[in-house]
Amino acid sequence: MAREKTWQGVIAVADLEAAWVTRVTFGPRNLAIYDTPSGIYVSLALCNHGGADLCDGYFDGHVIECPLHQGAFDVRDGKAVAAPATRQMKVFEARVEDGMVQIMV
Amino acid sequence: MAQAIVTPLTQALAEGKLSREELKEFMQRSDAPALRRLALWALMLAATTTLITLAWDSWLIWPAMFVQGVVLVHHFSLQHECVHYTVFRTRWLNELVGQVCGYTILLPHRFFRYEHCDHHTYTQLHGEDPELIPLPKTFGQYALYLSALPYWRNKFTEVFRHARGHLSEAELKFIPKEEHPAVFRDARLMLGFYGLVITVMALTGWWGLVWYWFIPLILGEPVMRFIRMTEHVGRPTVAQMSDNTRTSLVSAPWRFLCWNMNYHGEHHYVASVPFHALPRLHEVLKEHIHVEEGGYLGAHREIWRQIHANTRRGA
Ligand code: FES
Repeated sequence: MAREKTWQGVIAVADLEAAWVTRVTFGPRNLAIYDTPSGIYVSLALCNHGGADLCDGYFDGHVIECPLHQGAFDVRDGKAVAAPATRQMKVFEARVEDGMVQIMV
Repeated sequence: MAQAIVTPLTQALAEGKLSREELKEFMQRSDAPALRRLALWALMLAATTTLITLAWDSWLIWPAMFVQGVVLVHHFSLQHECVHYTVFRTRWLNELVGQVCGYTILLPHRFFRYEHCDHHTYTQLHGEDPELIPLPKTFGQYALYLSALPYWRNKFTEVFRHARGHLSEAELKFIPKEEHPAVFRDARLMLGFYGLVITVMALTGWWGLVWYWFIPLILGEPVMRFIRMTEHVGRPTVAQMSDNTRTSLVSAPWRFLCWNMNYHGEHHYVASVPFHALPRLHEVLKEHIHVEEGGYLGAHREIWRQIHANTRRGA
């Protein structure tokens, strides 16, 4: 039977790079945590176009741009907003609780 | 756990050639530097267009068209920056300006983006880098490449192929399936646009654009071929970025024209860095890339040496 999803802490808010993207290894996953004007968002760290690490990319507002080919995604819903990115990226439901960023996994 | 692929940037960061703080600072975007440069660009185009007008009834129209052509072919450099979305912070401006450049030089923007992605992933790797320019085997091949005749043949073949709804084997590798219809549509629109321009000229009897645009483009393209050769030709055909790419130090007017793309090694290390930050990135990375102090000519001297050595060896 599938395990029920729960909130799990991944990093303290104080450890995030302000208004930028922070790389976190969480169990088997590489995550990208985004500090945006409307809150914290979380996605898988690897670009679904060619596998580059989004955490080395350029981050502006709510858009993360891949460092390899500059494909871009809206971190709020994972939608691809600039080619060569064409597929939605995996994002996680996230919240801040007691100074920790938590994701629902 | 899935691992990120190794790129020149991840290597540079891991080896301490570049710090994360520096990277962050260099990547910052802004609209202002590009808008200022574009204003100068428009003045420059107005000046070269005026030269053609002034020289209209004399043989001087040919050098004037050549000068105009040198400016026109450098729309490639601007389009290339737009492909990377680094010219403007405002994302759609990159798309708009990139499209205008593409229509100026017969290079559909979307297609170029996908082709260019693989150039960055597989730089200088035979059979994988779709933009690889092989080292000419003879000076005859070198001259033929610089004439731009093979370039134009390829471009026309490419656009007509796409307009007919076909992609080559190589193109199928780098254009995602969901984008095929858009690539075909782009080619049809571009050909339709040129067709319309020619039709309007025929109907009005005013063929000015042939002299202000088409002939200058053909006259200027060898200059762009000369410059494009300096980026990788003659460098080793290996994956290591510090070896396979060449930065050429050139004078301010050439840097202006090519949107600082002479800092090619730096650009390949971190393609997210906008043109205006490349000279500063150069100061950080210059010990780790191949720098040609002698400019474009210096790069060609190196290419000549290699062609000469290869032909002697073959003789
Ligand atoms: S690897 Fe991210 S856009 Fe290509």
